[in-house]
Amino acid sequence: MPLLRFDNVAKLYPGGQQALSDLSVSVERGEMLFVTGHSGAGKSTLLKLIHLAERPSRGAVLFNERNLRNVSGRAVAMHRREVGVVYQDHRLLTDRSVAENVALPLVLRGLRRDEIRKRVRSILDRVSLGARIDALPGQLSAGEQQRVGIARALIGEPALLVADEPTGNLDPGLSAEIMTLFAGLPERGTSVLVASHDLGLVKRMRKRVLVLDHGRLVDDIAPDELAPSGPAPSGHSPSEPAGPEHAHG
Amino acid sequence: MADPRASATASKPRSRIASWAAHHRDSLAASLGRMLRRPWSTLLTVGVMAVALALPLGLGLSLHNIGRLGGAVEDTRQISVFLKTEVAAARASALAGELRAREDVAEVELRTPEQALAQLQAEAGAQAALYADTVEALGENPLPAVLVVRPAEDAAEADVALAAALEALPEADLVQRDARWRERLDGWLGFGARLVWVLAVLLGLGALLVVGNTVRLEIQERREEIAVLQLLGATDGFIRRPFLYLGAWYGLAAGLLALSVLTAAELALRAPLAQLAASYGSAFALQGLNALQALGVLAVAALLGWLGAGVVTGHFLGQTRPD
Repeated sequence: MPLLRFDNVAKLYPGGQQALSDLSVSVERGEMLFVTGHSGAGKSTLLKLIHLAERPSRGAVLFNERNLRNVSGRAVAMHRREVGVVYQDHRLLTDRSVAENVALPLVLRGLRRDEIRKRVRSILDRVSLGARIDALPGQLSAGEQQRVGIARALIGEPALLVADEPTGNLDPGLSAEIMTLFAGLPERGTSVLVASHDLGLVKRMRKRVLVLDHGRLVDDIAPDELAPSGPAPSGHSPSEPAGPEHAHG
Repeated sequence: MADPRASATASKPRSRIASWAAHHRDSLAASLGRMLRRPWSTLLTVGVMAVALALPLGLGLSLHNIGRLGGAVEDTRQISVFLKTEVAAARASALAGELRAREDVAEVELRTPEQALAQLQAEAGAQAALYADTVEALGENPLPAVLVVRPAEDAAEADVALAAALEALPEADLVQRDARWRERLDGWLGFGARLVWVLAVLLGLGALLVVGNTVRLEIQERREEIAVLQLLGATDGFIRRPFLYLGAWYGLAAGLLALSVLTAAELALRAPLAQLAASYGSAFALQGLNALQALGVLAVAALLGWLGAGVVTGHFLGQTRPD
């Protein structure tokens, strides 16, 4: 049973912009994969449908076999707690310390303060930010802020982590460090879905890659089909749709 | 490096009720802190709300005291029949006897012109001599004989019917139903009480809107924070709670201010009013709100603030839900 399934999903925004068309794809438990494509390909919309910032115009998004179309009220909040989200712009609360930002998902769950403190310290050590626990986001570098965002997304131990261009503002060294952190999550039981247009990074990770173009899934590339270096996966760039021979999952 | 998943399984989260109560406690304290950190804007909101509360309360208290004053003067229901001056004393006395025989009459007292003049002179004090001179100049006592009739039945309709019957007497010059002024006062008090309710509803609505607008501005300022909390899985209740408490705090503070203003007004008026009442031989004293009523005012004020905040946050949360 896949953790996440898109069945013929379409998303049409008010104004007529078709963000996704007939998208069918599955994500297994403990899987890490990338979604790539040029700007406007539908990557962000796909992620928004997963954490219910948007709803599909047609088709079904199933998370743990639950149709997200039928999720409403309090259940929306409960669903969002199962999905950790990392944003390119971090979305940290600037008037709260690193520890307070990271603690938010646990505060929402109503954990005890001592338990929250313990888990915040633990996750910050894991992202090498233990020394900046009391700093405000404005006092951190872009890379550090991104790691705070990742710690916040992970502290609730979500079943799925979705990351929208998580390395967009980072230098290659930091990007690799964050990807290494993500790559270790599946063995802890967290599936990872990363939207990125950085093809070099995507190829180096040697994970399954979904290629979107104008809202359509044009390629689904298995890890063993990716060359460790050289041209883009399967010789296709996100703006050059691949043929059906790469279809997978 | 510690594994957070391992620590999660080792410790149990608080029960839902315990965490709900803890968040209520935190929201209560945080909203008070937020209000106190902005003394100027808090003072404005609380001030406007306090005026909206104090106006109907003050008017209501005034009416209550006027009603008490009216009751304290005399709750009389007697009818005075002023006889024509040509009616002889013997006829007046006979007429009093005839009226005493009526079933709808409890008591009749005859006041002769001489008794009336004596009473007038007694009440005139220093000017009594002037009345005596006037009567002497006229050559006769101009005051009529008066029959003071007390109705048997304790009902306004019976009074009216009896007064009509007395007016029909050929000896009667003027019939004055003394209960009429009291009925008119009661009428005015009833109108005033209704006016207080109308004002209370309108100004209560105004107070609700004042809090609502303040909370709306607070929400706008914290929009980004709310969006992040929602994305992380905050329920509507979690988002709404601090704003509800903020509204309740505003209401409570406004209620306290309104009560303080009314108490100050009562203290300022008490002594001169008591002095005025004493000059009329009355022991009338101004009456304010008792402790229970004051608590009721505070509770209603806090509820108004809570409702105002609830309406605004509910509207905001409705707009942020996924379509």
